[in-house]
Amino acid sequence: MLVSTSFTALAHHQANTLGMPALPIVVLPHPLGGTPLDTVLAKVDAVFDEIIHKLTSPLILKAQQIPEISRKRVDIHCSDEWTDLQHELIQRGWGDGLPLVPPTEARVVAMVHGSGLTANDIVAVIAPRMGVATVELIATNAVMAGCKPQHMPLLMAAVQAITEPQFNLYGCQATTHCVSPLLIVNGPLANTFNIHSGSGCFGPGPWDNGVVGRAIRLILINIGGAAPGEIDKATMGHPGKFSYCIAENEANSPWPSLSEQRGFAKGISTVTVVGGEAPHNINEHEATTSGGLLTTICGSMAQTGQNNVYYHGEPLLVLSPEHAATIANDGLTKEEVQRMIYDDARIPITRFGRETIERRLYRRLGYRYKNRHITPDTLVSIAQRWEDVMIIVAGGAGKHSMYVPTFGATRSVTRAILKKDGSPWQPKDFAK
Amino acid sequence: MYLISPEGHAQPLSIGASPRPYTLQGLRIGFLDNAKAPVDKMMLHIEAKLKQKYPGTETYTASKMAASRGIDSKILKSLRDHCDVVINALGD
Repeated sequence: MLVSTSFTALAHHQANTLGMPALPIVVLPHPLGGTPLDTVLAKVDAVFDEIIHKLTSPLILKAQQIPEISRKRVDIHCSDEWTDLQHELIQRGWGDGLPLVPPTEARVVAMVHGSGLTANDIVAVIAPRMGVATVELIATNAVMAGCKPQHMPLLMAAVQAITEPQFNLYGCQATTHCVSPLLIVNGPLANTFNIHSGSGCFGPGPWDNGVVGRAIRLILINIGGAAPGEIDKATMGHPGKFSYCIAENEANSPWPSLSEQRGFAKGISTVTVVGGEAPHNINEHEATTSGGLLTTICGSMAQTGQNNVYYHGEPLLVLSPEHAATIANDGLTKEEVQRMIYDDARIPITRFGRETIERRLYRRLGYRYKNRHITPDTLVSIAQRWEDVMIIVAGGAGKHSMYVPTFGATRSVTRAILKKDGSPWQPKDFAK
Repeated sequence: MYLISPEGHAQPLSIGASPRPYTLQGLRIGFLDNAKAPVDKMMLHIEAKLKQKYPGTETYTASKMAASRGIDSKILKSLRDHCDVVINALGD
């Protein structure tokens, strides 16, 4: 396997995780992408003999390194319960850089109790470490994030959604893209879980969006092994990688919710996970018609440099209630809006660089175009199909909506928030 | 203070490694383009150099559709069917 220096740790990690720690790896100096070809080929020439050597030499067999760290109780001695403890936790690689709630046994037991399951029940396997996520491990990370026991059903549903194959968690965890799972909660449990859908829903605020989203990130780091910088190779990251969780503002939406659109009955609470970039604000204060508003929206969504152009993707539009009302007042359904965005949020191919046109659009996306014939007048779409344009309503008063481009190589997943027996959790289950 | 560790670990896995050949002469060599620039050109270059070093070598090239998704099972099978060794790439 060829890797560049920046990805050596990831390569060894993956070889070990997938059961072949002795996989021969040849390392070239980073970077390779975006580098003049003669420089790249010179780097290849420098390792050519090593490639042959590693293909033809006996493997130095190594045992797979699987530390027995699950269910481990750790005895931590600190002179200063706050400062030293936090330093110790960060040194262990357990955190996201923010202060952590110490996961004492009492707190974890209480959190497990909120799940309705037992501590050793397995919820999912989380890439890229393929860490087995037991209820107890999810609970431990939930404690550290500052969650309450009532959040456990939501967290477990979200973890199961994220680990479904179509989400492509493996790709999301190890990419250089900034992708982070955005949780969108629908149904009556949004209130129960205190997941805010109104003003400032993307943060910050005195609701539980922050701690729930943070728990997911800690789970991805501590169980999934996506240590920032080492395995999580995001070039930039974005603030949503700390926490990314909202509820849809169903009370102020003129249309069926995302959950209902996906076939879930009203009254069933769900969580949808979307592999999203940071949200991009769309300011439109002047439009009084759907046409005027959607022109601005489509213009904002039609950006080069986004993965929704390069891959199959589901670009997400988060409409403020006022923007949604403007559109709906003209009699448009959500589906009609999706179709209009699919048709009109397109980028003239001339706005892409020459190399991107040749290598990405011509070579890799020829299948997107019916006649596979791309001309200078071609418009490049941000979705493969109109159904792939996702729309939700969230936020408070004001004429700002948000565009959330996605990772592209991921499909959103919606799961009902269910008990062990398969029946849906309801608000009355959490009544004190 | 006793704390519960939040770290999860994988189930042990073991993939048996194929015996290494002592030479590439006469073997079918495969190249997997991981869809990241400029891997395709790197693989072409390696292919050309290997053919020069080992005249008559058969080669086979496959490409992933997207760098960020796992390899398609059909492509994996094609590599197994057509190659004795494969060179692939990871990351950027």
